[in-house]
Amino acid sequence: MLKFFDSSLTGSGKFHKAITDPVNLVMLILLVILAYLVIWPFIQLLIETLTWGDRDRRISPDAVPGKFTSFYWQQATSGPLSRKMLYGPLLNTLITGVTATIMALLAGGVLAWCVVRSDMPGKRWLQPVLTLPYIVPSFAIALAWEAVFRSPKVGGQPGIYEALLGVGPPEWLSYGAFPISITLAIHYFPFAYLLVAGALATIDSQMEESALISGAGRLMTLRRITFPVVAPAFLAALILTFGKTIGQFALPFILGAPAQFHTVATMVYANLTLGLDALAFVLAIVLIGMSLISIWLSNRFVGNKTRRFETISGKGFRSREIALGGWRWPIFIAVALFAFVVGILPLILLGVQSIMLIDGFYGLENLTKHFWVGRSNPDIAFGEPGVLHNNIILGATWNTLKLAFISAIIASVIGLVIAYITVRRAHNPLARALDQIAFIPFLFPTIAFGAMYLTLFAEPVGPIPALYGTFTLLVIISVVSRLPYSVKTGVTAVTQIGQELEEAAELAGASWVMRFRRIIMPLSSSGVLSGMMVSFVGVMRELSLIVLLITPSTRVLMTVGFGYAEEGLTQLSNALVLIVAVLTIIGELILMWIGKGKMARLREKQS
Amino acid sequence: MSKIYVRNLTKTYGGLKALNNVSLDIESGEFLVLLGPSGCGKTTLLRCLAGLETPDEGEIIMGEKVVFSAALNIMVPPGKRNLGMVFQSYALWPHMTVRDNVKFGLDVLKTPTPVANTRLDDVLGDVGLGALGERYPSELSGGQQQRVALARLLATQPPIFLMDEPLSNLDARLRMDMRVELKRFQSNAKATTVYVTHDQTEAMTMSTRVVVMKDGEIQQISPPDQLYRQPENTFVADFVGMPRINLIELTAENNVSPCYSNGDLSLDIGWVPGCSHITVGARPEDISIKDKTVSGEENFKISAVLPNGPETIVQLTRGKTTLITRVSHDSKFVEGQTVDLSFNVNALNIYATKTGSLIMRDPVEDLKAC
Repeated sequence: MLKFFDSSLTGSGKFHKAITDPVNLVMLILLVILAYLVIWPFIQLLIETLTWGDRDRRISPDAVPGKFTSFYWQQATSGPLSRKMLYGPLLNTLITGVTATIMALLAGGVLAWCVVRSDMPGKRWLQPVLTLPYIVPSFAIALAWEAVFRSPKVGGQPGIYEALLGVGPPEWLSYGAFPISITLAIHYFPFAYLLVAGALATIDSQMEESALISGAGRLMTLRRITFPVVAPAFLAALILTFGKTIGQFALPFILGAPAQFHTVATMVYANLTLGLDALAFVLAIVLIGMSLISIWLSNRFVGNKTRRFETISGKGFRSREIALGGWRWPIFIAVALFAFVVGILPLILLGVQSIMLIDGFYGLENLTKHFWVGRSNPDIAFGEPGVLHNNIILGATWNTLKLAFISAIIASVIGLVIAYITVRRAHNPLARALDQIAFIPFLFPTIAFGAMYLTLFAEPVGPIPALYGTFTLLVIISVVSRLPYSVKTGVTAVTQIGQELEEAAELAGASWVMRFRRIIMPLSSSGVLSGMMVSFVGVMRELSLIVLLITPSTRVLMTVGFGYAEEGLTQLSNALVLIVAVLTIIGELILMWIGKGKMARLREKQS
Repeated sequence: MSKIYVRNLTKTYGGLKALNNVSLDIESGEFLVLLGPSGCGKTTLLRCLAGLETPDEGEIIMGEKVVFSAALNIMVPPGKRNLGMVFQSYALWPHMTVRDNVKFGLDVLKTPTPVANTRLDDVLGDVGLGALGERYPSELSGGQQQRVALARLLATQPPIFLMDEPLSNLDARLRMDMRVELKRFQSNAKATTVYVTHDQTEAMTMSTRVVVMKDGEIQQISPPDQLYRQPENTFVADFVGMPRINLIELTAENNVSPCYSNGDLSLDIGWVPGCSHITVGARPEDISIKDKTVSGEENFKISAVLPNGPETIVQLTRGKTTLITRVSHDSKFVEGQTVDLSFNVNALNIYATKTGSLIMRDPVEDLKAC
């Protein structure tokens, strides 16, 4: 009711109103918390690389803990180790990233055209299969590749390739740049596919028909109209995909580390396991820098060009399918085959591998249920019991579900609140700042983000306890890393709720909290629910974000699976990754069932 | 020189007949409007003419050339039909400047650059976009985008113009101005024009002839005034005209007299159509009312008075019958008043209630219609 007397209030009255307005209060609290959880960790990471650590007296006699030094940056950029530490991995990251991106974009672009613009049959069920490689953990694809092309030269048992052909695969096929690029491409082509498909779907086919009427042939229309119109979106997709590939950790680690092939992301992990924390942080900052540059580039393209490429659509927008004619079935078969090889075959391979008693020995008598249901047997896998009897795994499953569930809910609710503030207080600079801070985690490659949190909560600061090694820390980092997506989902939902719905409740005397709870939340629930499911699946398959923060008591399925893979317990890691893959697929199915899920997913992938 | 003949055109979409045996001759230089409610097949017919849609049956001849024939298996692609089209969404290419959008057609024709440039300057000047050539479509207002689409059509000087609801994205005022301009360009170019719309005002004001369609079939082909004065069936009568025509179902008092009634109203139509059940089509302006002088049985009561600028719409009710009439703006009728009613009998159209089709005053025709 105070609102009606605004004009009679004095200046101090306005101030009083501004701070008692619950929205402003919530906004300020969120700003402080997010600044501490997003911006401060980055600054602290930077400080860590520029000051001497406690144990650094061993490295240099000049080291005074807490004093400024450029030692680590010099060591990384110009020291004798710099080739191995920085430039080698940097080059590897660029090579695998660029190769994978180009392959992913080609495959994604062609498939998007087939699905969106042509009359190819079977689209309805091909589309979900085509997105499978992006839904399952990237590391599942790496393990499947290894199952086929494992080379005994590097150690371990032979893969399917050797078992069938009798000779081992050449090393370049087993480990290093080639397999990493291919598997990265397989994992990310659905991402590119969704981006390009989104752009293609906005093309008004009247634009092409108009060219046809002017007398242009099909090819000329494709060259002068269709390609140029999607080009900016395509370019943006290219850069975003590249930005995603460079942050990948598990996949290049599995297929690179055995051959001493490192990318910047795996080098961060390797340095931390060696106790070279400051060097690892330098690399994490390099990684963040790469990510920032790529996103800045993509925004430049999108910002400068697509704005004027906005398809002007009013009434009469139509999208017509292009008849493939005689090519209809051959193209369908090719796409279906491709979808099977990249979407389903890897999961089958993991399944088969997980029931082989002795890895690499292919025969019916070698099949066993041991790794799924067996009790501990000292002769097999160092006495590790099958996954369904393994207490570590049961605990990890519980942790995984708990983490995913709690994080998804918190991220969605906070995301909705931030979205509400952003939409309803669009003219308040603080609201815009909040929106931007919530977006920042998107810019951090996940492994670098994990590295930041390593130092953040190592010791108690004021009222905040030391959180390292606790489940709470995992929840916090998962929530913060999901915020960019959940805010996007929330903004879409809140924008659709008319301001007057809320004003009506305000006139009825409802407080802000009540309005938010009774009007905003129910009306945005369907969008937010699917966003929540997306977060749930996302957290469940996350590895690189939390791999640095896990302790034995907080293990989740992905980290246990990664641990087994590191130790060479192939069947167990395969079984575990398969479980995660199945869980994520179930999550995606629920999402599709919720219906609006597809929209929410697209939104996530386009942000 | 660019007459268009459409012969027995049929197009089916999954069991639904979008066009059902449509035949039509379009005169050279004519402005023909295809009018009808949504889903009547008008856009499909236009797209068949453009070559963007392949009909199942029939043939299309443009000038001397067969551009489509199901029997002869001829399908000339759109670019070879020598026509221009304005789309509903304008379909401007967002990555090209206004100038490049207009130039595209000339490029395809491999027009030498100096000639093309002169032509571009002319066309852009004509449509009033001379200064905006370097802008991108998204930097233009709706009306300007519309002009670019028009310039693109005019650039190559095709003898046939096709337009698919080109004005439906504009606001009402702009639409008025663009009607005049479109008409001007069309008559200057002397192009045979086929224009699709669902807006009857557009159809009436611009066309030389109107084709009314419903469910894939042609209902009537007439010049606009005749379409209004003499609709050939009750669908057309009802579809054309604002406010709506009064369609009054009446029954003959006996077979030989011209008197018909429905209990609320009895009417001497002045001739004998030979049917026992007729529907009288009376435009609002064909019913006049005056203050009740003598109180009698047949009095209508005014149930609503709706002033509308130069005219006032008056709704009358008696029993189950409701009529709409149009009176001058300065008449002083009020709601609740009882009035006397008279019909301009010569302007009425008589339809057979059973078939809904017009009964001409020729008695031989009358018998067939019933």
